[in-house]
Amino acid sequence: MVQMGQNDHEAIRAVLSGDKEAYGALVVRHSRTLFRVAFRITGNEADADEVVQDAFLRGYRKLETFESRSNFGTWIYRIAVRCALDRIGGRKADDDSRVADEDDREQNEVQVADEAAGPERLLLSSEIGAIQRAAMHGLTPTERSAFVLRHMEDCTTEEIGAALGIRPNAAKQAVFRAVQKLRRRLAPLRVST
Amino acid sequence: MKHLTEEELIGQAYGEGAGGVALHLEACGECARGYAELKSDLAEFDRAEPPYRDEAYGERVWQSLSGSLPVYAAPRRRWFGVDPIRGLSYAAACAVLVALAFYAGRQWEIRKAPVTASNNHPQTKQPIVVVVLGDHLDRSERLLVELKHVDAGNTEMVSPLRDEARSLLNANHICRKNAEKADDPALEGALDHLDHLLTEIADQPGGLNAASITRIKNEMNRDGLLFEVRVLRSRARDQGPSGTTHLNGGTT
Repeated sequence: MVQMGQNDHEAIRAVLSGDKEAYGALVVRHSRTLFRVAFRITGNEADADEVVQDAFLRGYRKLETFESRSNFGTWIYRIAVRCALDRIGGRKADDDSRVADEDDREQNEVQVADEAAGPERLLLSSEIGAIQRAAMHGLTPTERSAFVLRHMEDCTTEEIGAALGIRPNAAKQAVFRAVQKLRRRLAPLRVST
Repeated sequence: MKHLTEEELIGQAYGEGAGGVALHLEACGECARGYAELKSDLAEFDRAEPPYRDEAYGERVWQSLSGSLPVYAAPRRRWFGVDPIRGLSYAAACAVLVALAFYAGRQWEIRKAPVTASNNHPQTKQPIVVVVLGDHLDRSERLLVELKHVDAGNTEMVSPLRDEARSLLNANHICRKNAEKADDPALEGALDHLDHLLTEIADQPGGLNAASITRIKNEMNRDGLLFEVRVLRSRARDQGPSGTTHLNGGTT
Protein backbone atom coordinates (compact mmCIF):
# COMPACT_ATOMS: atom_id res chain seq x y z
CA MET A 1 0.00 0.00 0.00
CA VAL A 2 1.29 3.40 -0.93
CA GLN A 3 2.19 5.56 2.02
CA MET A 4 0.75 9.04 1.71
CA GLY A 5 1.59 12.14 3.67
CA GLN A 6 5.12 12.61 2.43
CA ASN A 7 5.69 15.63 0.25
CA ASP A 8 7.30 15.09 -3.13
CA HIS A 9 10.84 15.97 -2.05
CA GLU A 10 10.70 13.74 1.01
CA ALA A 11 9.44 10.90 -1.15
CA ILE A 12 12.24 11.41 -3.66
CA ARG A 13 14.86 11.40 -0.92
CA ALA A 14 13.37 8.20 0.46
CA VAL A 15 13.39 6.54 -2.97
CA LEU A 16 17.00 7.50 -3.57
CA SER A 17 17.86 6.12 -0.15
CA GLY A 18 16.55 2.73 -1.17
CA ASP A 19 12.87 2.98 -0.26
CA LYS A 20 11.27 2.06 -3.59
CA GLU A 21 7.76 2.10 -2.16
CA ALA A 22 8.03 5.84 -1.53
CA TYR A 23 7.76 6.35 -5.29
CA GLY A 24 4.23 4.98 -5.06
CA ALA A 25 3.12 8.16 -3.32
CA LEU A 26 4.39 10.21 -6.24
CA VAL A 27 2.67 7.95 -8.75
CA VAL A 28 -0.64 8.13 -6.94
CA ARG A 29 -0.40 11.89 -6.56
CA HIS A 30 0.37 12.71 -10.19
CA SER A 31 -1.12 9.90 -12.26
CA ARG A 32 -4.39 11.56 -13.16
CA THR A 33 -2.74 14.79 -14.26
CA LEU A 34 -0.42 12.82 -16.49
CA PHE A 35 -3.26 10.78 -17.88
CA ARG A 36 -5.18 13.93 -18.76
CA VAL A 37 -2.39 15.50 -20.79
CA ALA A 38 -1.37 12.16 -22.27
CA PHE A 39 -4.89 11.53 -23.48
CA ARG A 40 -5.21 14.99 -24.96
CA ILE A 41 -2.00 14.58 -26.91
CA THR A 42 -2.43 10.98 -27.99
CA GLY A 43 -6.21 11.13 -28.34
CA ASN A 44 -6.35 7.52 -27.28
CA GLU A 45 -7.17 6.06 -23.87
CA ALA A 46 -4.95 3.01 -24.11
CA ASP A 47 -2.06 5.08 -25.40
CA ALA A 48 -2.57 7.57 -22.58
CA ASP A 49 -2.40 4.80 -19.98
CA GLU A 50 0.81 3.54 -21.48
CA VAL A 51 2.22 7.05 -21.60
CA VAL A 52 1.50 7.46 -17.89
CA GLN A 53 3.34 4.25 -17.05
CA ASP A 54 6.18 5.06 -19.39
CA ALA A 55 6.55 8.54 -17.91
CA PHE A 56 6.75 7.27 -14.34
CA LEU A 57 9.17 4.58 -15.41
CA ARG A 58 11.45 7.12 -17.12
CA GLY A 59 11.07 9.44 -14.16
CA TYR A 60 12.14 6.71 -11.75
CA ARG A 61 15.22 5.92 -13.79
CA LYS A 62 16.17 9.58 -14.05
CA LEU A 63 15.28 10.43 -10.47
CA GLU A 64 18.92 10.94 -9.51
CA THR A 65 19.10 13.81 -12.01
CA PHE A 66 16.08 15.53 -10.51
CA GLU A 67 17.16 18.77 -8.92
CA SER A 68 15.71 19.43 -5.51
CA ARG A 69 14.97 23.03 -6.48
CA SER A 70 12.52 21.84 -9.13
CA ASN A 71 8.90 20.90 -8.81
CA PHE A 72 8.42 17.18 -9.27
CA GLY A 73 4.95 17.69 -10.73
CA THR A 74 6.28 19.95 -13.46
CA TRP A 75 9.21 17.65 -14.07
CA ILE A 76 7.18 14.47 -14.47
CA TYR A 77 4.57 16.37 -16.51
CA ARG A 78 7.23 17.33 -19.05
CA ILE A 79 8.43 13.75 -19.18
CA ALA A 80 4.88 12.64 -19.88
CA VAL A 81 4.54 15.20 -22.69
CA ARG A 82 7.74 13.86 -24.25
CA CYS A 83 6.49 10.30 -23.90
CA ALA A 84 3.21 11.24 -25.55
CA LEU A 85 5.09 13.08 -28.27
CA ASP A 86 7.21 10.00 -28.90
CA ARG A 87 4.16 7.82 -29.02
CA ILE A 88 2.20 9.91 -31.51
CA GLY A 89 5.40 10.45 -33.49
CA GLY A 90 5.87 6.73 -33.92
CA ARG A 91 2.21 6.10 -34.52
CA LYS A 92 1.97 8.92 -37.01
CA ALA A 93 4.70 7.33 -39.07
CA ASP A 94 2.62 4.14 -39.17
CA ASP A 95 -0.49 6.02 -40.14
CA ASP A 96 0.98 8.35 -42.74
CA SER A 97 -0.42 6.29 -45.54
CA ARG A 98 -3.90 6.93 -44.15
CA VAL A 99 -3.57 10.64 -43.51
CA ALA A 100 -3.22 13.05 -46.39
CA ASP A 101 -0.94 16.04 -46.35
CA GLU A 102 -2.66 18.92 -44.63
CA ASP A 103 -1.71 21.32 -47.39
CA ASP A 104 -3.74 19.41 -49.90
CA ARG A 105 -7.04 21.04 -49.04
CA GLU A 106 -9.23 19.27 -51.49
CA GLN A 107 -7.95 15.91 -50.43
CA ASN A 108 -8.51 16.81 -46.80
CA GLU A 109 -12.10 17.69 -47.43
CA VAL A 110 -12.64 14.43 -49.18
CA GLN A 111 -10.98 12.58 -46.37
CA VAL A 112 -13.18 14.22 -43.76
CA ALA A 113 -16.24 13.40 -45.80
CA ASP A 114 -15.11 9.82 -46.23
CA GLU A 115 -14.53 9.36 -42.56
CA ALA A 116 -17.71 11.02 -41.32
CA ALA A 117 -20.13 10.67 -44.16
CA GLY A 118 -20.81 14.39 -44.85
CA PRO A 119 -20.51 17.68 -42.96
CA GLU A 120 -24.18 18.30 -42.32
CA ARG A 121 -24.59 14.96 -40.69
CA LEU A 122 -21.43 15.47 -38.70
CA LEU A 123 -22.70 18.71 -37.26
CA LEU A 124 -25.85 17.02 -36.12
CA SER A 125 -24.27 14.01 -34.54
CA SER A 126 -21.73 13.06 -31.96
CA GLU A 127 -19.33 12.24 -34.75
CA ILE A 128 -18.05 15.78 -34.56
CA GLY A 129 -15.54 14.33 -32.17
CA ALA A 130 -14.24 12.13 -34.95
CA ILE A 131 -13.79 15.19 -37.14
CA GLN A 132 -11.82 16.87 -34.42
CA ARG A 133 -9.68 13.83 -33.90
CA ALA A 134 -9.05 13.63 -37.61
CA ALA A 135 -8.08 17.29 -37.63
CA MET A 136 -5.78 16.79 -34.71
CA HIS A 137 -4.35 13.74 -36.39
CA GLY A 138 -3.30 15.89 -39.32
CA LEU A 139 -0.98 17.93 -37.14
CA THR A 140 2.64 17.11 -36.66
CA PRO A 141 3.43 15.70 -33.20
CA THR A 142 5.03 18.97 -32.15
CA GLU A 143 2.13 21.09 -33.41
CA ARG A 144 -0.37 18.81 -31.79
CA SER A 145 1.43 18.80 -28.46
CA ALA A 146 1.94 22.55 -28.57
CA PHE A 147 -1.73 23.13 -29.32
CA VAL A 148 -2.87 20.79 -26.56
CA LEU A 149 -0.59 22.43 -24.03
CA ARG A 150 -1.67 25.91 -25.08
CA HIS A 151 -5.36 25.44 -25.70
CA MET A 152 -6.28 22.72 -23.24
CA GLU A 153 -3.62 22.82 -20.55
CA ASP A 154 -3.30 26.63 -20.45
CA CYS A 155 0.48 26.47 -20.56
CA THR A 156 2.43 29.58 -21.40
CA THR A 157 4.64 29.75 -24.46
CA GLU A 158 7.70 29.33 -22.22
CA GLU A 159 6.23 26.27 -20.52
CA ILE A 160 5.41 24.71 -23.87
CA GLY A 161 8.95 25.35 -25.07
CA ALA A 162 10.37 23.77 -21.94
CA ALA A 163 8.09 20.74 -22.18
CA LEU A 164 8.82 20.13 -25.84
CA GLY A 165 12.47 21.06 -25.69
CA ILE A 166 12.16 23.92 -28.15
CA ARG A 167 12.57 27.68 -27.96
CA PRO A 168 9.56 29.74 -26.85
CA ASN A 169 9.29 31.41 -30.24
CA ALA A 170 9.29 28.02 -31.95
CA ALA A 171 6.58 26.92 -29.53
CA LYS A 172 4.53 29.98 -30.41
CA GLN A 173 4.91 29.27 -34.11
CA ALA A 174 3.94 25.64 -33.56
CA VAL A 175 0.73 26.75 -31.85
CA PHE A 176 0.03 29.18 -34.66
CA ARG A 177 0.53 26.56 -37.37
CA ALA A 178 -1.61 24.09 -35.44
CA VAL A 179 -4.53 26.51 -35.17
CA GLN A 180 -4.26 27.38 -38.86
CA LYS A 181 -4.36 23.73 -39.88
CA LEU A 182 -7.20 22.86 -37.55
CA ARG A 183 -9.31 25.73 -38.85
CA ARG A 184 -8.59 24.71 -42.41
CA ARG A 185 -9.84 21.24 -41.67
CA LEU A 186 -12.92 22.52 -39.93
CA ALA A 187 -13.67 25.01 -42.73
CA PRO A 188 -15.94 22.64 -44.74
CA LEU A 189 -18.12 22.14 -41.69
CA ARG A 190 -18.32 25.84 -41.02
CA VAL A 191 -19.23 26.58 -44.63
CA SER A 192 -21.96 23.96 -44.57
CA THR A 193 -23.58 25.50 -41.57
CA MET B 1 -7.48 50.19 -42.97
CA LYS B 2 -5.00 47.41 -42.57
CA HIS B 3 -6.65 44.32 -41.16
CA LEU B 4 -5.24 42.01 -38.52
CA THR B 5 -3.40 38.88 -39.59
CA GLU B 6 -4.51 35.45 -38.50
CA GLU B 7 -1.40 35.21 -36.33
CA GLU B 8 -2.37 38.38 -34.52
CA LEU B 9 -5.89 37.07 -33.99
CA ILE B 10 -4.60 33.77 -32.63
CA GLY B 11 -2.25 35.63 -30.30
CA GLN B 12 -5.18 37.71 -29.11
CA ALA B 13 -7.27 34.58 -28.53
CA TYR B 14 -4.56 33.21 -26.23
CA GLY B 15 -4.04 36.47 -24.39
CA GLU B 16 -0.80 37.32 -26.12
CA GLY B 17 -2.09 40.04 -28.41
CA ALA B 18 -0.49 43.45 -28.57
CA GLY B 19 -2.38 46.40 -27.12
CA GLY B 20 -3.40 47.69 -30.53
CA VAL B 21 -5.14 44.45 -31.51
CA ALA B 22 -8.00 44.86 -29.05
CA LEU B 23 -8.53 48.45 -30.15
CA HIS B 24 -8.56 47.39 -33.79
CA LEU B 25 -11.12 44.68 -33.09
CA GLU B 26 -13.42 47.28 -31.56
CA ALA B 27 -13.11 49.49 -34.59
CA CYS B 28 -13.04 46.96 -37.44
CA GLY B 29 -16.14 44.86 -38.03
CA GLU B 30 -14.43 42.54 -40.54
CA CYS B 31 -11.62 41.64 -38.15
CA ALA B 32 -14.12 41.30 -35.31
CA ARG B 33 -16.08 38.76 -37.39
CA GLY B 34 -12.90 36.90 -38.19
CA TYR B 35 -11.96 36.87 -34.54
CA ALA B 36 -15.37 35.54 -33.56
CA GLU B 37 -15.03 32.72 -36.11
CA LEU B 38 -11.63 31.87 -34.70
CA LYS B 39 -12.95 31.75 -31.16
CA SER B 40 -15.81 29.55 -32.35
CA ASP B 41 -13.42 27.15 -34.07
CA LEU B 42 -11.19 26.95 -31.06
CA ALA B 43 -14.19 26.38 -28.80
CA GLU B 44 -14.89 23.16 -30.68
CA PHE B 45 -11.77 21.74 -29.13
CA ASP B 46 -12.74 22.77 -25.63
CA ARG B 47 -14.98 19.72 -25.50
CA ALA B 48 -12.11 17.29 -25.63
CA GLU B 49 -12.39 16.11 -22.04
CA PRO B 50 -10.38 13.03 -21.18
CA PRO B 51 -12.08 9.88 -19.89
CA TYR B 52 -12.63 9.82 -16.15
CA ARG B 53 -10.04 8.22 -13.94
CA ASP B 54 -11.03 7.50 -10.35
CA GLU B 55 -9.02 7.97 -7.18
CA ALA B 56 -7.65 4.45 -7.38
CA TYR B 57 -6.14 5.06 -10.79
CA GLY B 58 -2.76 6.09 -9.37
CA GLU B 59 -2.69 3.02 -7.15
CA ARG B 60 -3.31 0.81 -10.17
CA VAL B 61 -0.56 2.52 -12.12
CA TRP B 62 1.79 1.97 -9.21
CA GLN B 63 0.87 -1.70 -8.92
CA SER B 64 1.61 -2.20 -12.58
CA LEU B 65 4.95 -0.43 -12.25
CA SER B 66 6.38 -1.37 -8.90
CA GLY B 67 7.40 -4.86 -9.87
CA SER B 68 9.66 -3.66 -12.64
CA LEU B 69 11.44 -0.91 -10.72
CA PRO B 70 14.84 -1.63 -9.23
CA VAL B 71 15.66 -0.44 -5.74
CA TYR B 72 18.03 2.49 -5.55
CA ALA B 73 21.14 1.62 -3.63
CA ALA B 74 21.60 3.64 -0.46
CA PRO B 75 23.60 6.71 -1.42
CA ARG B 76 27.32 6.27 -1.14
CA ARG B 77 28.88 8.76 1.18
CA ARG B 78 30.33 11.41 -0.97
CA TRP B 79 33.66 13.00 -0.29
CA PHE B 80 33.29 14.86 3.01
CA GLY B 81 29.55 14.44 2.59
CA VAL B 82 29.28 17.19 0.02
CA ASP B 83 28.28 17.21 -3.59
CA PRO B 84 31.02 16.80 -6.22
CA ILE B 85 31.15 20.46 -7.20
CA ARG B 86 31.54 21.56 -3.61
CA GLY B 87 34.08 18.79 -3.10
CA LEU B 88 36.11 20.07 -6.00
CA SER B 89 35.98 23.54 -4.50
CA TYR B 90 37.34 22.18 -1.23
CA ALA B 91 40.07 20.32 -3.10
CA ALA B 92 41.03 23.47 -4.99
CA ALA B 93 41.12 25.47 -1.76
CA CYS B 94 43.31 22.80 -0.13
CA ALA B 95 45.63 22.83 -3.14
CA VAL B 96 45.97 26.60 -2.88
CA LEU B 97 46.72 26.33 0.84
CA VAL B 98 49.34 23.66 0.24
CA ALA B 99 50.92 25.77 -2.49
CA LEU B 100 50.97 28.80 -0.21
CA ALA B 101 52.50 26.77 2.61
CA PHE B 102 55.13 25.41 0.26
CA TYR B 103 55.93 28.89 -1.03
CA ALA B 104 56.15 30.29 2.48
CA GLY B 105 58.39 27.42 3.49
CA ARG B 106 60.67 28.05 0.56
CA GLN B 107 60.90 31.73 1.39
CA TRP B 108 61.69 30.92 5.00
CA GLU B 109 64.36 28.45 3.91
CA ILE B 110 65.93 30.95 1.53
CA ARG B 111 66.15 33.57 4.25
CA LYS B 112 67.55 31.13 6.72
CA ALA B 113 69.90 29.42 4.28
CA PRO B 114 73.12 31.49 4.89
CA VAL B 115 73.11 30.78 8.62
CA THR B 116 72.26 27.12 8.19
CA ALA B 117 74.82 26.57 5.48
CA SER B 118 77.63 28.18 7.37
CA ASN B 119 76.87 25.97 10.35
CA ASN B 120 76.32 22.64 8.67
CA HIS B 121 77.75 22.46 5.20
CA PRO B 122 81.27 21.00 5.13
CA GLN B 123 82.26 23.10 2.13
CA THR B 124 81.51 26.24 4.06
CA LYS B 125 83.37 25.09 7.20
CA GLN B 126 86.67 25.03 5.39
CA PRO B 127 86.86 28.77 4.69
CA ILE B 128 86.15 29.42 8.36
CA VAL B 129 89.01 27.12 9.43
CA VAL B 130 91.30 28.66 6.85
CA VAL B 131 90.40 32.09 8.00
CA VAL B 132 91.00 31.05 11.59
CA LEU B 133 94.33 29.44 10.75
CA GLY B 134 95.41 32.38 8.64
CA ASP B 135 94.23 34.79 11.29
CA HIS B 136 95.95 32.75 13.96
CA LEU B 137 99.17 32.71 12.00
CA ASP B 138 98.83 36.43 11.31
CA ARG B 139 98.38 37.22 14.93
CA SER B 140 101.16 34.82 15.90
CA GLU B 141 103.51 36.44 13.39
CA ARG B 142 102.73 39.92 14.79
CA LEU B 143 103.35 38.65 18.30
CA LEU B 144 106.68 37.15 17.31
CA VAL B 145 107.70 40.34 15.50
CA GLU B 146 106.80 42.43 18.52
CA LEU B 147 108.66 40.01 20.75
CA LYS B 148 111.70 40.25 18.51
CA HIS B 149 111.76 44.03 18.80
CA VAL B 150 110.50 44.46 22.32
CA ASP B 151 112.57 46.34 24.84
CA ALA B 152 113.08 43.72 27.49
CA GLY B 153 113.35 46.36 30.22
CA ASN B 154 110.05 48.01 29.43
CA THR B 155 107.45 46.03 31.33
CA GLU B 156 104.62 48.14 29.94
CA MET B 157 105.32 46.77 26.50
CA VAL B 158 105.73 43.21 27.74
CA SER B 159 102.38 42.96 29.45
CA PRO B 160 100.25 43.14 26.22
CA LEU B 161 102.46 40.43 24.73
CA ARG B 162 101.58 38.11 27.57
CA ASP B 163 97.85 38.76 27.17
CA GLU B 164 98.01 38.19 23.46
CA ALA B 165 99.97 34.98 23.99
CA ARG B 166 97.31 33.67 26.34
CA SER B 167 94.64 34.53 23.82
CA LEU B 168 96.50 32.74 21.04
CA LEU B 169 97.11 29.58 23.02
CA ASN B 170 93.57 28.23 22.68
CA ALA B 171 93.41 28.88 18.95
CA ASN B 172 96.81 27.30 18.56
CA HIS B 173 95.66 24.12 20.30
CA ILE B 174 92.74 23.80 17.90
CA CYS B 175 94.85 24.45 14.84
CA ARG B 176 97.43 21.97 15.99
CA LYS B 177 94.76 19.30 16.54
CA ASN B 178 93.44 19.89 13.01
CA ALA B 179 96.92 19.71 11.58
CA GLU B 180 97.36 16.39 13.34
CA LYS B 181 94.12 15.07 11.91
CA ALA B 182 95.02 16.35 8.47
CA ASP B 183 98.39 14.64 8.65
CA ASP B 184 100.29 17.87 7.97
CA PRO B 185 103.60 17.40 9.84
CA ALA B 186 105.08 20.76 8.78
CA LEU B 187 102.17 22.70 10.18
CA GLU B 188 101.93 20.43 13.18
CA GLY B 189 105.65 20.94 14.00
CA ALA B 190 105.45 24.70 13.59
CA LEU B 191 102.38 24.91 15.77
CA ASP B 192 104.16 22.74 18.36
CA HIS B 193 107.01 25.21 18.52
CA LEU B 194 104.57 28.08 18.62
CA ASP B 195 102.64 26.38 21.41
CA HIS B 196 105.77 26.01 23.45
CA LEU B 197 106.72 29.64 22.94
CA LEU B 198 103.23 30.97 23.68
CA THR B 199 103.08 28.91 26.83
CA GLU B 200 106.37 30.36 28.00
CA ILE B 201 105.21 33.90 27.35
CA ALA B 202 101.78 33.39 28.87
CA ASP B 203 102.64 31.32 31.87
CA GLN B 204 106.13 32.47 32.77
CA PRO B 205 106.32 31.99 36.52
CA GLY B 206 106.78 35.35 38.19
CA GLY B 207 105.89 37.15 35.00
CA LEU B 208 108.01 38.22 32.09
CA ASN B 209 111.20 39.97 32.85
CA ALA B 210 114.18 41.03 30.82
CA ALA B 211 115.98 37.72 31.29
CA SER B 212 113.04 35.58 30.35
CA ILE B 213 112.28 37.76 27.35
CA THR B 214 115.82 37.50 26.11
CA ARG B 215 115.77 33.74 26.56
CA ILE B 216 112.51 33.42 24.68
CA LYS B 217 113.83 35.65 21.87
CA ASN B 218 116.85 33.50 21.53
CA GLU B 219 114.76 30.37 21.48
CA MET B 220 112.53 31.86 18.75
CA ASN B 221 115.47 32.88 16.63
CA ARG B 222 117.16 29.56 17.06
CA ASP B 223 114.18 27.60 15.91
CA GLY B 224 113.47 30.00 13.06
CA LEU B 225 109.94 30.11 14.32
CA LEU B 226 109.11 33.53 12.89
CA PHE B 227 110.24 32.44 9.44
CA GLU B 228 108.33 29.19 9.77
CA VAL B 229 105.12 31.00 10.75
CA ARG B 230 105.48 33.39 7.81
CA VAL B 231 105.88 30.50 5.40
CA LEU B 232 102.84 28.71 6.78
CA ARG B 233 100.79 31.87 6.72
CA SER B 234 101.76 32.46 3.12
CA ARG B 235 100.89 28.87 2.24
CA ALA B 236 97.50 29.08 3.91
CA ARG B 237 96.77 32.29 2.05
CA ASP B 238 97.81 30.80 -1.32
CA GLN B 239 95.83 27.59 -0.86
CA GLY B 240 92.67 29.42 0.02
CA PRO B 241 89.45 27.59 0.81
CA SER B 242 89.73 24.97 -1.95
CA GLY B 243 93.30 23.96 -1.12
CA THR B 244 92.81 23.36 2.54
CA THR B 245 90.76 20.21 2.67
CA HIS B 246 93.24 18.78 5.12
CA LEU B 247 91.92 21.29 7.60
CA ASN B 248 88.34 20.00 7.24
CA GLY B 249 86.61 19.42 10.55
CA GLY B 250 88.13 22.33 12.33
CA THR B 251 86.02 24.46 14.55
CA THR B 252 86.34 27.87 15.94
